[in-house]
Amino acid sequence: MSTRTSTVFLVDDHPLVREWLTTLINQLPDLRVCGEAAGADKAFEGMRASAPDIAIVDLALPEGSGLALVKKITSELPQIAVVVLSMHDERYYAERAFRAGARGYVMKGESTSSIAAAIRDVLGGKLYVSPRMQSVFSKRFGEDDLRNLHAPVKKLSDRELEVFRLLGQGYETRRVAESLNVSIKTVQAYCARIKEKLQLANASELLREAIRWNDAQSAG
Amino acid sequence: MSAWTRFLERRSRAALAAGCIVLSLATGFTDYLTGTLISFSAFYLAPVSLAAWFVGTVFGLFIAALCVTVWVLGNLIAGDANFANPFLIAWNGSIQLASFSVVVVVLGQLRILTRDLERRVRERAAALTKEIAERERLQKLLLQASEKEQRRIGQDLHDGLGQHLAGTAIAGQVLRDKLERRSLDEAGDAAKVVQLIEEGVSLTRRSAKGLYPVDMQAEGLMLALDEFALTTTRLFDVNCRFLCESPVLVHSATAAEHLFRIAQEATRNAIQHGAARNIDIELNTLEEGHELRIADDGKGLPSMLPANGGLGLRIMAQRAQTVGADFQVMARPEGGTVVTCRLPVTIEEKMAS
Repeated sequence: MSTRTSTVFLVDDHPLVREWLTTLINQLPDLRVCGEAAGADKAFEGMRASAPDIAIVDLALPEGSGLALVKKITSELPQIAVVVLSMHDERYYAERAFRAGARGYVMKGESTSSIAAAIRDVLGGKLYVSPRMQSVFSKRFGEDDLRNLHAPVKKLSDRELEVFRLLGQGYETRRVAESLNVSIKTVQAYCARIKEKLQLANASELLREAIRWNDAQSAG
Repeated sequence: MSAWTRFLERRSRAALAAGCIVLSLATGFTDYLTGTLISFSAFYLAPVSLAAWFVGTVFGLFIAALCVTVWVLGNLIAGDANFANPFLIAWNGSIQLASFSVVVVVLGQLRILTRDLERRVRERAAALTKEIAERERLQKLLLQASEKEQRRIGQDLHDGLGQHLAGTAIAGQVLRDKLERRSLDEAGDAAKVVQLIEEGVSLTRRSAKGLYPVDMQAEGLMLALDEFALTTTRLFDVNCRFLCESPVLVHSATAAEHLFRIAQEATRNAIQHGAARNIDIELNTLEEGHELRIADDGKGLPSMLPANGGLGLRIMAQRAQTVGADFQVMARPEGGTVVTCRLPVTIEEKMAS
């Protein structure tokens, strides 16, 4: 076989997880673990030295958060693709991880058999989420591009967009009402319409969506 | 009576002393005017008692002597036969002085006893207030300690056992892959083992969530209540909804956790005691603060609470008090119960900072 071996860097504070992940990856013909670390700082140093093709990062790290590490890798070492492997619930964290620049999210202990698939998908230039999250994401953003975040917002009226923008800046209902000089009830009515138009199930989804959109706006 | 006592208590000792002297002289003058046939000696008890009670025993004895002097002088001037010679004067005077003195001493003792009693009542009341405050403080500590312990166990489960199992699942996957490469049938068994371990991870995750439900972030309460409503619907075969019109951010993790526990307890009550079918958990922003409202369509509150006084209700009230929130449990007119907890925005901001 002439396929090039891709290198993988592991970041996880649990030795047991690192050990067996290494074994799992090394027994695959096209993948090889080139380094591992338990904490964010060592991980970043290690990656800069070994220049892996892909990093598998846990979100809960003893020093510094995994999300911050993901952001740092994608901004400073953009040639490294990142897959998040975490105990955290994908329903709440997958979006955040993608926003931080990750290209895959696998829940620890949920779909062990798909770890290899996730690595290969991401190495192949695709994004990876579990089938469950895929349906959630595609319902909201369309199948192809998870980062195509702007389209649904076009359905909003100017006033709704204003409320949406303020929510995304971390304003909560009361402060939105204050800064737009309207009553809390009015803001709640806007929120109800935004949720309906963007097909968001509840206020937490609305908030996350608003924050995500806002981040994307300021990034782009 | 007590109004008079209070009035006199507030006067200065000098004013009271002067009053007693004036009263003694006035009584003596009246005694003189009324003549020798009418006995007036009992009226001297007024200045004597006042002096003994409000000024002091020594001054009481002084007024007693003054009264006896005035009395004797008055009778002498009036030419009373009872004071015809020095022996009679000395004898009658001494008898009167002795009886006044007895009154002074008895009143003095009584005064000491009363004061002592008042002091002890005050001390006891202060001790009780302190004890109540201490007990409330302990209750709060107990609640915090048990929560801290729960959180610790929850985190241990999530980060310790959960991660260990996740690692084991990966090990199982390695075994499965090896077996499969050798085309052995046991690969299927290994896959089954991996699946079982994954179920273990999922159970661990769920237990950890039960013990430590609210994520530290401001939107954590919304997420936790949403998740809780879903789980409740699934596990208890009821219709539990989480309603939240617009984002409610609770910045204090403590407040968020207490509010979550109140919702949890109210929902548990609705299912276990109220046999409710529908439960709505609402989290809303009002002008004055956050409002958490749990409404059910169950049997409502029992007219007689159980012997333990509705421990759940008491703990909910205690939690609300801990975070400075307003707490109310009411029967709904259409049946069922509604628990309302309002957290003023000023208090929440203070807690968060």
